[in-house]
Amino acid sequence: MTRYRRRRLANSMLLAFALGATVIGLFWLVAILATLLFNGLTAINLALFVETTPPPGSAGGLANAIVGSVIMTGVGVLIGAPVGLLAGTFLAEYGHYSRISPIVRFINDVLLSAPSIIVGLFVYQLMVIRMGHFSAIAGAVSLAIIVIPVVVRTTEDMLNLVPNSLREAAFALGAPKWKVVVMVSYRAAVQGLVTGILLAIARISGETAPLLFTALNNQFWSLNLDAPMANLPVVIFQFALSPYEDWQRLAWGGALLITFAILGLNIGARALAARGGMRTGA
Amino acid sequence: MADFALTRRFAGRSSIADAAFKASTWCFAVLVLVLLGAVIIALIDGALMALERFGPSFVITETWNPVRETFGGRAPMLGTLITSAIAMLFGIPISFGIAVFLTQLCPVWARRPLGVGIELLAGIPSIIYGIWGLFVLAPYMQAHVQPLLIDTLGALPLIGPLFAGPPLGIGMLTAGFILGIMVLPFIASIMRDVFDTVPSMLKESAYGLGATTWEVVWNVVLPYTRVGVVGGIMLGLGRALGETMAVTFVIGNAHHLSVSLLAPGTTISAALANEFTEAVEDIYQSSLIALGLILFVITLIVLSAAKYMLIRLQSRTGT
Amino acid sequence: MADSAATRGAAFVPVRATSTVAAVANPAVAAAARQVKIEIKDLNFFYDKFQALKHISLSLFDRKVTAFVGPSGCGKSTLLRVLNRMYELYPKQRAVGEVLVDGANILGPGQDLNMLRAKIGMVFQKPTPFPMSIYDNIAFGIRLYEPLSQSEMDERVQSALERAALWGEVKDKLGQNGLGLSGGQQQRLCIARAIAVKPTILLLDEPCSALDPISTQKIEELITELKTEYTIVIVTHNMQQAARASDYTAFMYLGELIEFNLTSVIFTRPEKKQTEDYVTGRFG
Repeated sequence: MTRYRRRRLANSMLLAFALGATVIGLFWLVAILATLLFNGLTAINLALFVETTPPPGSAGGLANAIVGSVIMTGVGVLIGAPVGLLAGTFLAEYGHYSRISPIVRFINDVLLSAPSIIVGLFVYQLMVIRMGHFSAIAGAVSLAIIVIPVVVRTTEDMLNLVPNSLREAAFALGAPKWKVVVMVSYRAAVQGLVTGILLAIARISGETAPLLFTALNNQFWSLNLDAPMANLPVVIFQFALSPYEDWQRLAWGGALLITFAILGLNIGARALAARGGMRTGA
Repeated sequence: MADFALTRRFAGRSSIADAAFKASTWCFAVLVLVLLGAVIIALIDGALMALERFGPSFVITETWNPVRETFGGRAPMLGTLITSAIAMLFGIPISFGIAVFLTQLCPVWARRPLGVGIELLAGIPSIIYGIWGLFVLAPYMQAHVQPLLIDTLGALPLIGPLFAGPPLGIGMLTAGFILGIMVLPFIASIMRDVFDTVPSMLKESAYGLGATTWEVVWNVVLPYTRVGVVGGIMLGLGRALGETMAVTFVIGNAHHLSVSLLAPGTTISAALANEFTEAVEDIYQSSLIALGLILFVITLIVLSAAKYMLIRLQSRTGT
Repeated sequence: MADSAATRGAAFVPVRATSTVAAVANPAVAAAARQVKIEIKDLNFFYDKFQALKHISLSLFDRKVTAFVGPSGCGKSTLLRVLNRMYELYPKQRAVGEVLVDGANILGPGQDLNMLRAKIGMVFQKPTPFPMSIYDNIAFGIRLYEPLSQSEMDERVQSALERAALWGEVKDKLGQNGLGLSGGQQQRLCIARAIAVKPTILLLDEPCSALDPISTQKIEELITELKTEYTIVIVTHNMQQAARASDYTAFMYLGELIEFNLTSVIFTRPEKKQTEDYVTGRFG
């Protein structure tokens, strides 16, 4: 019976450990969110949204950084999402028997987890050096490069969920393949495709590393894509590491904004995916 | 059917559209490959000057002197490896525990919310981990954890030097710890997914023999999913190696390598984030790009291995 | 084996000319009314290396319902999918032989696949409404080939739905998503969608297998009405359905055509023992 007791004990220890690990994992989530709320809420006020980033030692807001982030994220998604959609379409609709498909799929998955700072270096070499200066468009391109693998992956997965019988039904009416894809497959998978793009937006809106060497930062209002542009992550980075209390407070405010925006996007995307499922009736 | 000429015209036009659409999807799929190639070429191109000047000694020299324009990547390279190792040391067991809990113990109704909670942890941008690490974790480490480590482990022979020196709060240990928290959700969600691939019949037959949950996990689930578990760990490792912002805040940015894990250090990505825009001299910038190249190659290898293992598991279980 | 199949298959070609049995069995079917719409000649089909159809030769008559019956895996669905070359979507599948539709070989290299499929409607096992409105489901196929004005399109949509016996049920909710209909309604929507493009042939691949008995009955009635205009080929598992709805029945087994004749003959006086065993439920 001692042997059985030992086994029971080992088992209880594992269960306790697993439970403890889960508690620890969730503890960080709570701890980080609580810190953000605690430090950030005091910084949230009207000025944060209407005033631009201040010089050290004076009050101001993050308006230029918020707008800059929205612009660069938007342009990044506009460039990256179509590329990802079409590439994912190839993998799911055309490439089943193509020899390059497994390679593209493999490389895409690798790029999905590749360090984002490397993307910044790449775009620096590709655009910033050639253009001679940092610019918002370079920042947007580096974000686009991060968007692509995310969208490729979700697009392929979602299109693969569309039942083949639906495609065959469209073919049976004499539809050419591109119409089958655009009018039937895309429509059937639309919620999944949108979910993928939302997740991509969530992913890039907090990205800092690729913007450091591309969009840089801008203390002033600028909507010029050909010039450096302020953006939340880099402003948070600079202000948080500064010795000025005003700046640090703004950094916390920005961190709170960005985190809850991203978590909101994540939850929204999940809800959309869960609610819609596949609209195929099958 | 409409009249023949009309339909012929339609058919002709749509076959052109068909070919054009297919070709464009193909082009963008190939673009993904081109992207990888272009990144490598651009990095090699940028790193060439430093690699030619310093040769292989670049990877073993520790000197990092922008004034005298001599650069060696040993400190950031080792820093990257050490912080990632610490991250794995912390992240793997916790992830394993979470995955076991979510797949074997957790009541069904709680699975989804808890799983989403863990996945949200992955959604928090790394800069937030950084700012949190700097203002919350580092002071706590300085006040409580590090003095404790210095007094206990620091007094031991052999491993003592690893925990020597003043408690600064920031440093390699803190950076590794934050990285560990960051990779948690990645490893945990992959482990959960691969644990779920174990056929319930297999588990039930073990339970049927009177095995405990622990024994089922250890003797049935883990052996069955070993490849996938290792793949998930490698994926987490790939993330940890390249992670930038979370580390940059708390590593201390010192190009001097110290034995103590409590001392400041640097990693490749932190060095890039801190110094790249200030590096005006060509050779300085080239040296930083060379570091980037090394980082990219290492992560590519690690991530490819991870992906390869996950594919192997997938093809075996046929999911 | 292959040889005997060939001769057996060939033996069925003269059915039109010599089958006095058939004529006696059903005098209403006069020889003149039986125009050949589709003629299959020595058709072989391969899934990669596996041969799924062996030397099939068979004539399908205009404005008649022909049922393909046989146990699972006998090749009846495969044969159906050759008729609109649906198999071409999958690279390792190929058909060898001739299929003449109105005298032209559709397996020939010059055949435009989209045009072919526009002329041959198909309805599948499970209802496949597109994720769009009921109206757009019907208009989808028409828009592919005919630029109609809004009023012309409205008429076409209405007439297609009327002929599929669905108009009364959906006329007030044409803008709603097709997925909101019941299974039987969805299947009739799919039939309406197929006939909206004015094909001459309708292929039905077990159209009732996912439906309840009442919906099944409606579809069968519909088939009987539609055969005045279309050549209909139906694959079915259900012997009673074949007996009720079809004029001719082809019994297939392991990729071979065992027997083809008037449905009344197949079900009452089959020539082959295998056919008799199957239709009486002794195997399959």
